[in-house]
Parts: sequence; C-alpha cells; structure tokens
Amino acid sequence: MKAGTLPTILVVDDNQDNTDIIQHYLEVRGYPITVAHNGDEALALFEKVRPSIVLLDVMMPGRDGWEVCRLMKQHRELGRNVRIIMVTALDEWDDKRQALQTGADDYVEKPFDLSRLASAVERNAALLPTAIAP
Amino acid sequence: MPRFFRQPSRRSPAADASADLVVAADAATDADATRPRIRVNAPPILLTDSPDPAIATAVADLGGWRVVVCAGERELARVVGEAPDVRAVLVTTDNPNALRDVFERARPRGVPVIVGCADETMRRRAVELRADEWYRTPADPVEIAGRIRSAITRAVPTPAQVADRVDKVEYEQMLYDFLTGLPTLPVMIERSRQLIKERGELVVLYFNFVRYSKIEEIYGWEKLDAVLETTASAVGEFLRDTSLRGSRVMVSFTNDDDFVFFHVPAPGVDAASDAEINEITGRLQQFVAGRIEEAHGEEIATLFDIYVGSAHVYYNPKTRLERLIYRGIREAANAAKSVEERERARKVADLRTALRDRDVYVDYHPIVRADTQEVFGYEALARGVPRSLRSPEVMFEVAAEADLIWELSRLCRSRAIEGMAKQIAAGQLLFLNVDPHDFSDPEFTATFEREVANPERVVIEITERTAIKDYPKFRERLKAFREQGYRFAVDDAGSGYAGLGSIANLEPDFIKLDMSLINCIDTNFIKQNLVETMVRFANDQKAQVIAEGVERAEEMETVKSLGVHLVQGFFIHHPGKQEGSRAVPTPAVAKAVPG
Repeated sequence: MKAGTLPTILVVDDNQDNTDIIQHYLEVRGYPITVAHNGDEALALFEKVRPSIVLLDVMMPGRDGWEVCRLMKQHRELGRNVRIIMVTALDEWDDKRQALQTGADDYVEKPFDLSRLASAVERNAALLPTAIAP
Repeated sequence: MPRFFRQPSRRSPAADASADLVVAADAATDADATRPRIRVNAPPILLTDSPDPAIATAVADLGGWRVVVCAGERELARVVGEAPDVRAVLVTTDNPNALRDVFERARPRGVPVIVGCADETMRRRAVELRADEWYRTPADPVEIAGRIRSAITRAVPTPAQVADRVDKVEYEQMLYDFLTGLPTLPVMIERSRQLIKERGELVVLYFNFVRYSKIEEIYGWEKLDAVLETTASAVGEFLRDTSLRGSRVMVSFTNDDDFVFFHVPAPGVDAASDAEINEITGRLQQFVAGRIEEAHGEEIATLFDIYVGSAHVYYNPKTRLERLIYRGIREAANAAKSVEERERARKVADLRTALRDRDVYVDYHPIVRADTQEVFGYEALARGVPRSLRSPEVMFEVAAEADLIWELSRLCRSRAIEGMAKQIAAGQLLFLNVDPHDFSDPEFTATFEREVANPERVVIEITERTAIKDYPKFRERLKAFREQGYRFAVDDAGSGYAGLGSIANLEPDFIKLDMSLINCIDTNFIKQNLVETMVRFANDQKAQVIAEGVERAEEMETVKSLGVHLVQGFFIHHPGKQEGSRAVPTPAVAKAVPG
C-alpha cells in the first residue's frame, strides 16, 4: 500500500440496503469501495479488484460467507495478503473457532454498528503489508 | 475419472499460467526447467488511443499495470475485443461512431471504459454512453490514475464473467495445491501421458508423512501450512540434486498430506533400481527432517515420520493409463505402509528397553509471569532418549498401541518428580501432565502419595483434548487430590468446541490456552477476542491463564495486553540458554503431553 492511499475494500452482503450504507459510510472516509451482492460475484470481483480488505456477510443465499472466505484465503496469488472481516453475530466460542478455521482475520457483529465497523477496518488496514499495490 | 480434467485448460488459460513446480532435467528438451519456474499472470493492461504522457505516468502509479497505446480509435476498438489481459480502456477520440464502437466491444467483456473529454459535447456523449468514468483533458496524472482506479472498482462483471472466474478459482484449487503450488494427481496424469507411452516405464514413489495432521491439531493450521511449504520446497530442492536427475521427475501433491512422485526414465537410461530408490529415499527422509528442524524446531521435526514406498508401472497399450497409474500408486502406498509397520515394531522395542532401564529424560520448561517475566514454575516434559521416541507425542502414541501407557506414565511422572528438588527452586511450582485415563491406573494415587513430598507445589495438568466420560466420578477424584493440596490446570483449553462450560466443570486453578490460539495472535482479532473472553472467564473463576507456545515478541506483547497472567514458550525459553534441562537440544516450542 502506498503512503497516503487507503486500501481498497470489497463489501459483500446480499442486502442492498446494507451495502449502500457501508459503501457510503466508508467512501466518505476515503476508502475505494467495491460492492458484491452474492458469493460468486464477490469471488469474481476479488480477482478483478484485488482488494486489501474484504467485509464479508456470512448469511447469504447460495455460497455463504464461510465458503467465500475459505476460497479467498486459498487464492494462490491474493490469499496471503487479503484481510477478511466477517460481518456476523459470532456469539459462541464454537462459532469463533469455526471462523478461525476458514482463515478469517476479524469480525464485526451484526447488526453492525458503523463506528465499530470503521474501527475494524482501520485496525486491519494498519496490519496490511506495505508492499501491496493499491 | 473426473470429467474436469481437460476443462480448465480450455476455459481458463490462467490455470496453466499460474505458478507451478516442475522438476525436470531432460537436458535437451527441458534445459530451462531444471529450476522451478514461477510464472505469474500477465500484468493487467490499460488500452488507450492517446499518446498523452500523463496517462503513462498515471498507469505507472497504479502499480503493476502496463499501458498499450493503439494507433487510432479503430485499432483500439479492435484490440479491446481481442486482447485477453485488457482490464481498462481509456479513450479520447472525438469521433462518436468510433467511441460507440469501443463501448460496444468493451461492454460484453466487462472492461471498464474511461473517457478523456476535450469539450462539453464529448462529456455529454460519454455520460450518455454510461462511461464508467470521464475527465476533462488535459488532466494531471494523479487525477487520471484516480479515474482509472475508480472505474476499475466500479465496473460490474457480466454474469458470464462471474461464472467463469468462480469456476477458475474452484478449478485452480482442485488442480493445484494452493500452498505448495504443486499440481494434483489429475494434472500429473495428463502431463505424463505422452512421456510414459514413449519411455514405457514409470516409477511411482509414495511418501507417507505420518502425523502431519497432529501439527494442525496441536499448533493450528497456520503451522501445518508453514510446515507443508517447507516440506515441499525441501523435496523439490533435494530432487534437483539426486541421481534421478538424469530422468524426468515430477512432483504431485495428493489431497491430504502425502506426496506422490513420478519418475520417468530419460531416453536411453534405465529406470532407477530398487536399491537406488531405497538409498535415495533414505537420504530424502533425513534431508526433509533436517530442513523442518531448521525452520520449525526439533519439537515439530521429531513429531512425524516419513515413510516411502515405490512401485514400477510398465506401459501396457491394452490398459488405460489412469488405471495403471492409480494401481501403481496404491501399490507404492501399501509398500510405504509396510515400511511404517516395520518401523513401528522397532519403536515398540525401543520403548520396552527404555521402560526396563527407566530411560526417559525430563525437560523443564519455564512458565513465567507475563508482567515481570519472573519464573513461576516449570512444566515437566518427558522424552524418549532414542531419536525415534524423542517426541512425547510419538512416545505416548507408541505406548498406547503397545498397551504400555500406564507403565510409561508412571515412569515419566516419577522421573519428573525426582528431578524436582534439583531443578526447581523453592516457591516455584511443578506442572505435571496427567492424562485423564491415568486416573484409572490402580497405582495412580499410591505413586503420588509415595513420591510427592509437597503436594502444594504440584499442579496437575489435565488436557481438554481427551474426553472425560464420567464427570461426577472424575470430579470426586480431583477433589481427593485437591484436599491434599494439589492444584489443577486445564491444558489445551479452547482446543475443542466444548467452550467454557467444560472448563468451568473442572474448577481449575490454571487455564492453559491451546497453542493454536496463540500462534499469530498479534494479527488475528478473532483469536484476541477468544483469549480476552478466556481471561475474563478465568478472572471470574479466580483462575490464572497461561499462554503456551509464545514464540515471538509480538505474540508476547499481545497476550500481555490481553491480561494473560503467565506465559510459556520459545520466546522465553530459548534452546541453548535453558535453565533446568539436561544438556540435550531443547525444542523450539514446548508441547504438553501426558508425562
């Protein structure tokens, strides 16, 4: 990531209202945002946009967020550098253990609180390797 | 035979273009291929009809992109429809038909279009055509780069593209191991088809890596991945220097944790003899184990074994090649299995000798206070003396199979207690591993009463990994020990899915966090959250949390900031500058096992 450039974020949620809110909120803060509304679209955009951070809803019809997370983390070129934040209610110990198995880096509770979402994005952005091209 | 074999090469050229490791040394034909070739996808291209230097500067700013300037807008429209790596088009023509043409070609391919507009008419035209972005010329490179970037991120792929890319991602994962980049079996069969027909013979080597899955269980998948990577690169490196070099050797990675090698003799060269193969595989085992020890420490290197089996496959025009190869692989796998059994019998013999001679030694791994780093106590870790039994995991596994587990447990316990006076200062505690099954040993209580002089200095560690069947009875037993002054620790806490309830049931004085939660905790916020939860829970229960497997300063800082009370691991207990252990190299990471 170049100094002064904020990392690109891919926002994935099947609910358009949610993505609209998140997109607006983060765009105002200067992050380049791309939106996907299902798992397949997210995977396609992942290769195209090469985001540094993915905000991933878990409950989606078809391929769910866990599956998408696993596939992204196993991507041979991009998997290592992307940070994935799951957007879900991980209440139980069990849920969080499972999240670790898919390779997720962080999570934001759903229903989400925008300021928490922003701080999750910030703390993950801070850990991005500097070598990533914007 | 799965039907996806050929599909990817047709549908996605990128599957072929991605990194792949081929060790090949046919001097004449594969001169370049003696080194692993890492081919990455071609850089994305921005296509434009404008020679404006600001565009080139802007593209350089995007990082990793290439700009291609076409001679005129007609040429541009043509190339958009054909070139595979075009990811964006920047068009500046004032010819409305040509502009429309560019859009028509770019749209179906999902390529975003940016229009550089010289005047208001052009701007209106660009908006009408739904350009992904536009800007007024002349513009500085920063603005142009920004427009390109936002056009790329905004462009929505066509449904066909979505399906194609998703397929590609999935196929790639089926065809190549994502960690090592090695092709999987189906790919290997397709690649070697022609060669085997030509040379008539193939040697299959099957490498059975025993107990790799244990690494995942103990240290977490991040560690297993790192070890697999080391293994694959060590194997590749070794093969480049063997006498198999005169032939074509290919490496494949099967689903789980085994490797398969195909060795196809070069023209005019005999296939390696069995003796030769035995010799090579023997050396390879040592080479790989050495590499793993260098990179990940002795604890991990001694944890697993590598067994190799081989089989010859002769080309037979009447039988389909796949069948021949799969049969060969099965034979080689069976051969590897029988090597494993032979080795196991030897290990059992080693263990019996060790038990007879009371020959195990004990490492004392310090547990320190997170804040002051002052030694709080030591965990006793018993090890076998022969290398084959060095890893406690292996030693106890062998004992369990040979029905010697109680004998071994008793021996390890009494050695640990014997060494206590010499190794552990007054006021420090001894953490002693006990398997829940040990409680059913009729001599269990008696040995403790006989050997332990001061129970208040002993902490009994009980692993969460072994399921406890009869809780009320088990708690009764714990209670009896507690009354004598013993304290308890739950080991590997958080390794299972059971959560905090089962830990609370044991009313522990200490909670030892599972190592998989500590590995890379500094960059994983979910792990941090879990540990935080555990610390809060422990504080409520008046218990102390021990973070095990702390290897790096970042991990140390993180667990400290999360309120963990005690710490154990490589970061504080370096091999070489160990206190309290015998003069045997101490592993990088301590792992608690019954002992």
